[in-house]
Amino acid sequence: MKHCDKCQVDIQTNQKYCPLCHQVLQGEDDPNIHELYPEYVPIRREILPLTKKIILFMTVVSIIILLTVNFVSWDGAFWSLIPVGGILYFWLIVRYGVLSKQNIAFKLALLTTVLVALLDLIEQFYGNPDIESWALNYVTPFAFLACNLAISVIIWVRRINYRDYIFYLISIIIFSLVPIILALVNVITIKWPAITAFGAAVFILLFIIFFFPKSIKEEIKKRFHL
Amino acid sequence: MGNEIGYNDWFKLDNAAKIFPAVSTKIETNTFRVQFALKEIVDPELLQLAADGILERYPMFKVRLKSGFFWSYLDYNSSPFYVEKLPTQVCGQLSPKENNGYLFKIYYRNNLITLEVFHTLSDGSGAVMLLKSLVYEYLVLKGYKLSPDNIILTKDSKPTIEEYEDSHGTYYNAKNRRHVPEKKAFGIKGTHIPDGHIGLISGTLSTKEVVELARKNQATVTEYLSAVIMYTIYITQIQYREHLKANQKPVKMFIPVNLRRHFPSKTLRNFTNFVKTDMVMNRSDISLEEILALVKEQFKKGMTKEELIRKMSENVAFEKNIFLRMTPYFLKKYVLKIGYQIMGLSLNTMSVTNIGKTDFPESMRPYIENVSAAVYSGKFNTLNVAIASFEDKFKITFTRSIIETTIEREFFRFFTIMGLKLEIESNYVEEYR
Repeated sequence: MKHCDKCQVDIQTNQKYCPLCHQVLQGEDDPNIHELYPEYVPIRREILPLTKKIILFMTVVSIIILLTVNFVSWDGAFWSLIPVGGILYFWLIVRYGVLSKQNIAFKLALLTTVLVALLDLIEQFYGNPDIESWALNYVTPFAFLACNLAISVIIWVRRINYRDYIFYLISIIIFSLVPIILALVNVITIKWPAITAFGAAVFILLFIIFFFPKSIKEEIKKRFHL
Repeated sequence: MGNEIGYNDWFKLDNAAKIFPAVSTKIETNTFRVQFALKEIVDPELLQLAADGILERYPMFKVRLKSGFFWSYLDYNSSPFYVEKLPTQVCGQLSPKENNGYLFKIYYRNNLITLEVFHTLSDGSGAVMLLKSLVYEYLVLKGYKLSPDNIILTKDSKPTIEEYEDSHGTYYNAKNRRHVPEKKAFGIKGTHIPDGHIGLISGTLSTKEVVELARKNQATVTEYLSAVIMYTIYITQIQYREHLKANQKPVKMFIPVNLRRHFPSKTLRNFTNFVKTDMVMNRSDISLEEILALVKEQFKKGMTKEELIRKMSENVAFEKNIFLRMTPYFLKKYVLKIGYQIMGLSLNTMSVTNIGKTDFPESMRPYIENVSAAVYSGKFNTLNVAIASFEDKFKITFTRSIIETTIEREFFRFFTIMGLKLEIESNYVEEYR
């Protein structure tokens, strides 16, 4: 056992210096002693890998170039916002789709919603008003339909985790009502995709209500308790 | 499908727990640790089996943190839990996104079994209960003949509703919830250890000698040690510098009080309050006796039922505030953060946690070497202390987020000068490069 004669204490570990006064300890190292605390391992700092740095650098540079060119050759349209939106969406996929530890239902719901919003916005500003809207008529309902089916399948296959996913399923079902409302107020002209998506959403919702009535009630109680 | 445990598969956060998810960061981790040293090397595989078995008995620990629209809550966690090797980091952050969502960790190293808990789940008393059950289960798996003697909650017993209770709400009194404004406390300054590491220095004294010493001064052990720590802070940080502006602030010890000893509650979740000692030390002739007299008086005042209920009700009233409740959680988080900054951390110099003597069944005692505890240290509360005792081993564990060890040194020398036998262990932070 080691000893510090300044502090008059025995040291239970094979340290070189006294933890209290930092002077050199007396006594031999005891090879039979179990070190109480593990040796120091430096915390792995998250350093940006070079590829990530390069891509980030290129992103920022291209956004600046796009905006500059757009302003210099101004023809009354903000066309640069389309590629900029695309680039930002790419980063959203990387950040929330790939790197995030959130559950997959959340990722799907988030990415689908943002994608739909992005496409609708692009079309709103730059679409040809004479041609029927493609993003609203087809992409919006089908994206929500695909997302609905995907989350349902995941829940079906990994049923043990359904309680973690059901909230996102319900929110995406609610989003699926958007196309049918748009169809009712005649913003959407081609109605069958909207009706299909709505039908599928209602089907899944009814399925949950009939077969897991308690879980849906519980989930709402949990998420909204005051 | 996840519902197999019936009515109790999700929990609202209890009153004390509500603040921690909003304010915890990598630096302010709000994590604490209790650990038992056995008399033999721990077998990780058996420990894993014991953990799997005992977690079903503690549904309030088998949870993950989720955010709702108004409050976050604890939801049943179906993922597997794994025990791990003891890491270098003491009381590091327990992020809800890591560790399969579990807000506690079980570590092993040589003969140590360590439990680290995020304060949202439980307080020291609940954590000790869990660790006792775990070690009991482990020793049974090892093949020893033990009996629980009504001290241990074993795997086969059933969780009761009383154990999930938010007892703060039970003893809430709307008429006794006055807010008493407080002054900011003196803060121990120093050079922060890089990477958010925490230095740990633990001293082992003889329980008998410490108790004798406290009795000789007509004080309880907690009162006496708090006074000695205050005195140490005074002689190392303040004395002969009383004129400095920073030294006009009162030195305040935050001493958690286990309310289960004062109210008949069986909850395994948070049920602690605190007593604070408070002394402006801007004179050059303060003696230990003077501090001890004041500490004793403040303990007496702070420990009355009325005062304990007032402090509890003050917090519950804050939680019951209709405006706070109606605020969506993503905004509420910031309200809680700011509130904690103003009313939480900066009102204490340091915390002195005494988890006291740990009870074991007679048949289990021969296998336990010692019991110790530790509390995280952060940016403002740079030094904290946790005290635990088992048989004649009285362990005082300092955890610090600064390099300086002046207070620990003077504190422990105070005892060695009186001739008490002292053994020191440390986690080597001072030798990190």
